[in-house]
Amino acid sequence: METTKMARAALLSLAIATVFLLGWEGFWRSQGFIPTYNDDKALWAVKRKEVYQPPGSATVFIGSSRIKFNLDIPTWEKLSGEQAVQLALVGTSPILTLQDLAEDEKFAGKLVIDVTEPLFFSPNPAFHQSAQEAVGYYKKQTPSEKASSAISLALESKLAFLEERRFSLNTLLNDIPLPNRPGVFQFPAFPKGFEWTTADRQTYMSEMFLSDSSDLKRQTDIWTSLIMNSPAAPISGEELERVLAGVKNSVDKIRSRGGKVIFVRTPSSGPMEAGEHKAFPRSQYWNRLLEMADAAGIHYKDYPETANYVCPEWSHLSPADAIDYTTHLVKQLGEKGWFAMKPNILNP
Amino acid sequence: MLFNSYVFMAFLGIALAFHYLPVSWKAKKANLLLAGYLFYAVWNPPFVLLLWLSTLVDFFVGKQLYHAEGQAKRKALLLTSLAANLGMLAFFKYGGFLLDNFILLASALGIDFHPAKPDIILPVGISFYTFQTLSYTLDMYRRKHAPERSLLDFSLFVSFFPQLVAGPIVRTGELLPQFKSPRQATAAQFMHGLMLLSLGLFMKVVLADSLLSGPADMVFGAQMPLNIVDAWLGVLAFSGQIFFDFAGYTTCAIGVAAMLGFSLPDNFRYPYAAAGFSDFWRRWHITLSTWLRDYLYIPLGGNRAGKVRTYINLMITMLVGGLWHGASWTFVAWGALHGLYLSVEKWIVSRQDSRAGLPAEAEPAMALAGQAVIVEKSALPLPILRSPKARTLLLVLLTFFLVNVTWVFFRAADFTTAWRLLSSMFGMAPEGAALLPTIDMIKVSVVTMGLLATHFLMRNTAVSALVQKSKWWAVGIAWGLMLVAIIISQKSSGSFIYFQF
Repeated sequence: METTKMARAALLSLAIATVFLLGWEGFWRSQGFIPTYNDDKALWAVKRKEVYQPPGSATVFIGSSRIKFNLDIPTWEKLSGEQAVQLALVGTSPILTLQDLAEDEKFAGKLVIDVTEPLFFSPNPAFHQSAQEAVGYYKKQTPSEKASSAISLALESKLAFLEERRFSLNTLLNDIPLPNRPGVFQFPAFPKGFEWTTADRQTYMSEMFLSDSSDLKRQTDIWTSLIMNSPAAPISGEELERVLAGVKNSVDKIRSRGGKVIFVRTPSSGPMEAGEHKAFPRSQYWNRLLEMADAAGIHYKDYPETANYVCPEWSHLSPADAIDYTTHLVKQLGEKGWFAMKPNILNP
Repeated sequence: MLFNSYVFMAFLGIALAFHYLPVSWKAKKANLLLAGYLFYAVWNPPFVLLLWLSTLVDFFVGKQLYHAEGQAKRKALLLTSLAANLGMLAFFKYGGFLLDNFILLASALGIDFHPAKPDIILPVGISFYTFQTLSYTLDMYRRKHAPERSLLDFSLFVSFFPQLVAGPIVRTGELLPQFKSPRQATAAQFMHGLMLLSLGLFMKVVLADSLLSGPADMVFGAQMPLNIVDAWLGVLAFSGQIFFDFAGYTTCAIGVAAMLGFSLPDNFRYPYAAAGFSDFWRRWHITLSTWLRDYLYIPLGGNRAGKVRTYINLMITMLVGGLWHGASWTFVAWGALHGLYLSVEKWIVSRQDSRAGLPAEAEPAMALAGQAVIVEKSALPLPILRSPKARTLLLVLLTFFLVNVTWVFFRAADFTTAWRLLSSMFGMAPEGAALLPTIDMIKVSVVTMGLLATHFLMRNTAVSALVQKSKWWAVGIAWGLMLVAIIISQKSSGSFIYFQF
């Protein structure tokens, strides 16, 4: 009797879960969503392991979302013949990641550091949190976590609803538009179809997002509100010197082992670009950074072919422009002797 | 590995397949033992050596202890086991804490001492299996049970994977006899176990991790005084989180053991429905509180050596209980508060007993019956309070309120944070900031009310009894909805809070 009852209950629960799972996946697919990867610390850890390649085989990228959107990895690999190891983290300063690589005696490869001034030169600890978590996770990752991550990645490649930042219970609840009390900050919800992430950690804007003017407006409104509400002024004076000295120290450590480092400022446009240039004058920040670190840099404004992109939501390039920009970036780096072999694009 | 991980689901499938192979019982036990070692090793492989050390020391010392005749020899053997087990615990768990306090003491005495900070990784679940093996040794010393003759069975007792890293802490007589004859779950037991596993995962993944951990982290991580509402909601969020996290784990453990055909003791009985603190400790982390009662409180003299000594024993027991949870003075403060609550409750009960001319209550304090605080009906101002149910509800709410105060010390990273939060909770920070978004306030309020209502309604029953008297379709729908909620919540990478203890 008890067996029959429990068996019936188990079968019913299984049926409910299966129907729901199929319906849930089918619903989001019908809305245009595709399987993509959670851009989390587990995926970061997978790429972090790939930094130990000979300098002629790979370039490691650190920074924030700009380089994740603006570097098209297939284009990079096709033109340069080298692998791109993408370690940039969304909304995060690369300083802690740089320190991690500098402290890692085994790393002696090539490193491109993407500079997004509001993140790079901000005192806000929130802009370091993801890097701290990712590096900590990588260092302490257990065999069990590695195995779970492998299973998880396999599932994420097949199921659209497994994108946590879009479809998890918490995200769905947080998407409910409820007014907050004065003074309460809630991180705004990005449009659901804003971007996809590949297994290589490249991020690109979806067609769904690019073709929806209300989503584009929503995103630019979010940038406006985040910039307006930014509580911290850019660092300057002694604090800036301390940050620059820390960067120089890390860069020197990598170079002392035979590694190569270059800084890259990739495009932004519209009010975002204007605001960044105003708040972080090039002479005081970008130029000082290169001078202090005694390193080369590539600033998009210095090259006519990359100076005038229009970013759909002011901050990141569209997928088509990312391909174009990457083509130019490979060429610019090639001209600075970045590659052991001459990249295809420099061949006549 | 974590129960709430994909890899555990694969591991469990394989473990079950091996367990139900048509092989000898000895081979099945060997499979379970290997599974236990694998389960533990995937956190940090070298730490399996600690399990082996603990197993071998206690197996051989236990045997000697039971048979040895001379008191001196028996004490030496007992000390050997205690030194091995507690030494391991002291090094891995309390090494840094002891060193920090030594540095502070040296500094207070004017000695400038700056040793290198040791980088010690805490082996997961070390406090749980250490206490389990300690109980075996102490039982051997007391000759409460005959020593285990099979090293295989004893190893499995130490490393039984469902409860290895976060309990329930099982005793010699509870688990070892189950290894003596072939165990196989009946179909009903298997499915009940599967349902408990789903329930445990629902508690952990959906309620603790998805709904409550965010607001709790936000409030306990705030660096400024908070609005009274936010402070309380943050503490309530943690109160729910710690329950769902830990009870979720043990519910999974009991469920997985049932699927293998084993039975593990309950570790929680709706603790937020406790009316008083003796009742609370009969409902919260039962296997630890009974361990502390049997191996510490009673050996210290319990309540048999006079009133003052009873209060001292209670305080010692709860301070050790606090320290068991973590190497920090905030955990000691948490234990001290519980010791104080228990002492005050005991004092009130003994005063009421003496007024009523009742004999002094003879039970150990931590095993008191639920009706610890008896309020005379005539003393109650409102007629509604003359109803026993209303009085119980009042006591439950008072207990819950006081328990929440203790959680502040348990969760806060330091005393500065704890005092700041307590000031906010008790209205001493009128200019405190509003922090939580509306949706988080709703999440915490709804889950807390649901939690309290469930505990109150279920306080004298159990899930299995409820399932038994429910229609199959009702069980199926509830179970199915839990699975749906787990699917929507998605992967929860959060480790169980109690793994660090």
